[in-house]
Amino acid sequence: MGQTERKGQSQPPGMENPDPPGRGGGLSGADVVRSLWAWLTGSPLMALALKEVRQILRNKQLLFLLVFPPTIQLLLYGFALNPEVKYLDLGVVDYAQTLTSRELVASLTHNQVFTLNPGSASQAALGEQVQRGEITAGVVIPPDWQRQLQRGETATVQVLIDGVNANTAGIANGYINQIVQSFSRNLDPPAPPAPIQPQVHFLYNPGLISSWFFVPGMIGVVLTLTSSLVSSSALVREKDTGTLEQLLMTPATAGEILLAKIIPLFVLLMGDVMLALLVADVVFSVPFRGSLLLFLTLSGLYIFVGIGVGMMLATIARNQQQVVLISFFINMPLIQLSGAIAPVESMPLAIRYLSWLNPLRHYITIVRSILLHGVGLEVLWPHVLALAVFVVILLTVSIYRFRRQLS
Amino acid sequence: MQRILAQCRKELAQFRRDRLTVALALILPVATLLIFGYAIRLESKHIPLAIQDWDQSWLSRAYIEQLFATNQFAPVRRAGDEDAIAVIDRGHAKATVVIPPDFSRRVEAKLPSPVQVLVDGSDVNNARVIRNSIRATTNYFMRVNDLLPGSERVVARVRLWFNPGRRESLFIVPGVYAVVLAVFPALLSAIAMVREKEQGTILQVYASDLRPVEWVLGKGLAYFLVGQLESVLVLTGAMGLFGLRLVGDPTPLLVGNTVFVSASVLFGLLIGSRASNQGAAVQAVALISFLTALLLSGFIYPISNIPFPLSLIAWVVPARYFMEITRDAFVRGTGWAGVWPAELALMGLALLFLRAVLLATQRMQLKD
Repeated sequence: MGQTERKGQSQPPGMENPDPPGRGGGLSGADVVRSLWAWLTGSPLMALALKEVRQILRNKQLLFLLVFPPTIQLLLYGFALNPEVKYLDLGVVDYAQTLTSRELVASLTHNQVFTLNPGSASQAALGEQVQRGEITAGVVIPPDWQRQLQRGETATVQVLIDGVNANTAGIANGYINQIVQSFSRNLDPPAPPAPIQPQVHFLYNPGLISSWFFVPGMIGVVLTLTSSLVSSSALVREKDTGTLEQLLMTPATAGEILLAKIIPLFVLLMGDVMLALLVADVVFSVPFRGSLLLFLTLSGLYIFVGIGVGMMLATIARNQQQVVLISFFINMPLIQLSGAIAPVESMPLAIRYLSWLNPLRHYITIVRSILLHGVGLEVLWPHVLALAVFVVILLTVSIYRFRRQLS
Repeated sequence: MQRILAQCRKELAQFRRDRLTVALALILPVATLLIFGYAIRLESKHIPLAIQDWDQSWLSRAYIEQLFATNQFAPVRRAGDEDAIAVIDRGHAKATVVIPPDFSRRVEAKLPSPVQVLVDGSDVNNARVIRNSIRATTNYFMRVNDLLPGSERVVARVRLWFNPGRRESLFIVPGVYAVVLAVFPALLSAIAMVREKEQGTILQVYASDLRPVEWVLGKGLAYFLVGQLESVLVLTGAMGLFGLRLVGDPTPLLVGNTVFVSASVLFGLLIGSRASNQGAAVQAVALISFLTALLLSGFIYPISNIPFPLSLIAWVVPARYFMEITRDAFVRGTGWAGVWPAELALMGLALLFLRAVLLATQRMQLKD
């Protein structure tokens, strides 16, 4: 309540302008504001922007929203999401109990993919363990193994894999086959090397560090959530407390009111981009291979998408509670269909095409490409173009709706 | 008892009146199921794969054909001057296979011939899938064409249990079921709780002779019922759209479902009694319930991959235990023998939340 009263004081624009701007330049500390000031002397825009900056700085909750949730989310996603297939529990029932069978068990477990789970006594017990999910894979070496090997027959090893987690099961399956195969080739007498030898090199992320994939995606997600929420709550608050009417009585036009709201938010959200980049660099050592300038420019472009979404929300919702609830409806599909968590390439074809209509998907592609691939506009232009189209559409529609609601 | 029921009726009436909340309660869970269920796929099919064949022999062509024979890879047309890495740089292909010029000569001479495979490592999971898949296909190709010197002496006969076709939906959808029930009942009850404080109606509650336990239980019961409705909706969707079927004994799921929805509602009440306004409450639920259910529950990747300090938090995430129960009920089918520890853990957590809510409401009373 106190806020609205004080806001009223800074509202009479024009006349009081010469006084606040000096302080305002210092307050926001951004050259943007200062150069705009030189350009817009005498316009109500400046006074309004100043009012917004003051209001934001006074609003502890908003500052909290800008810093705390993004950092937590980046950290959580970066650390917790890890597709590594390592230390899977492997049960072994070795009925053969010979030197070679023990060698096979050793070669299955001496890497980091499988660790031996000692609790399996019989084939039936092994089956139960797989069923209960206590072990991911079970290997049964039959009693006549040694005999088959000595006769030169193909000896079989039975492998049971818990298929509940389809992805892990697939990778575990691949590993077991490769290990058994190389074991078989190295059996005495060792077979000559296989004629075709695929040599796999991983580009961009040779160590396959999972956070390098998830953190750039999360930068996009965090930016979407924060920018839409912050901008919508800044707008809807005026509607909520009824101060929007007071603003309308001033000589400022609707466009100026909006612009004055957008500029300080934009500066703050750029700060968020830097924060996210800092976390990515310091905590996760995500490489930055492309151009920083391009990254910041395109992030700026994307912030306008977020602000556009937020303004749209604000025109739909009647009060702050509704904003938060409605943002669920919009942000959830945006995020899940963006490739931040599950890669877009893995989604069904129809959803993949649909994801072209998702601005976040374009932004995440841009972030990953700049950070990891180190490519520039020559590759990214279709995504930049798409983002620009979204900015234009979102801002036009929401400004139009906002104006209509004003009159 | 009667006062609890009255409180519950009042809460439901209030719930019905707010169209937005009703939509939130009934549409969002189904939407979440659809989006998560269809969109979260970890393994790519039809991965764009570029080929650079410097050999151009029948053998190299047969090898390439073999690579594309499964639905794992889809060929990418390259512009003539594009080199192997540029096509990955541009994102047109996820991997390039470079076949050297003396490929067929060396293979026929039984000499090892390296085939270079460049894989885009930025999508870590699929990079592994691509590597395994190319190695497996290569081995198959050599075996079929009798290129492997020496007979194979040991082979692994692999059987995938529960999910032989490796349908990812069998893993993801039971998980989504748990995520939905972790988030939405909590969200609704948190909003209902904090609204009393925000609108000042909590003073009326103080003034009445309603005891805090009755008040909390009445509110909880109302949202428990809503949560059960949500679980029926999501269950219908999971069975109708994703073809999930209950395998084995349904009682662990029934019990687990009841306990889990209660835990979720109680957690919402807890957040609601601590938050200062609805926005903060929703934010808190979204951040805590949603993120823990999504990230610290084994929903996407195994819990064992979570690094140490975070893995401690995973122990008190109810969704983690409920996910074990749903996956067992829909895929594994071991019944009580397999899931009783998870059920016990859930009950423990639910009681813990109840205790915390009662404490928190007492504090709410003292403050004013």
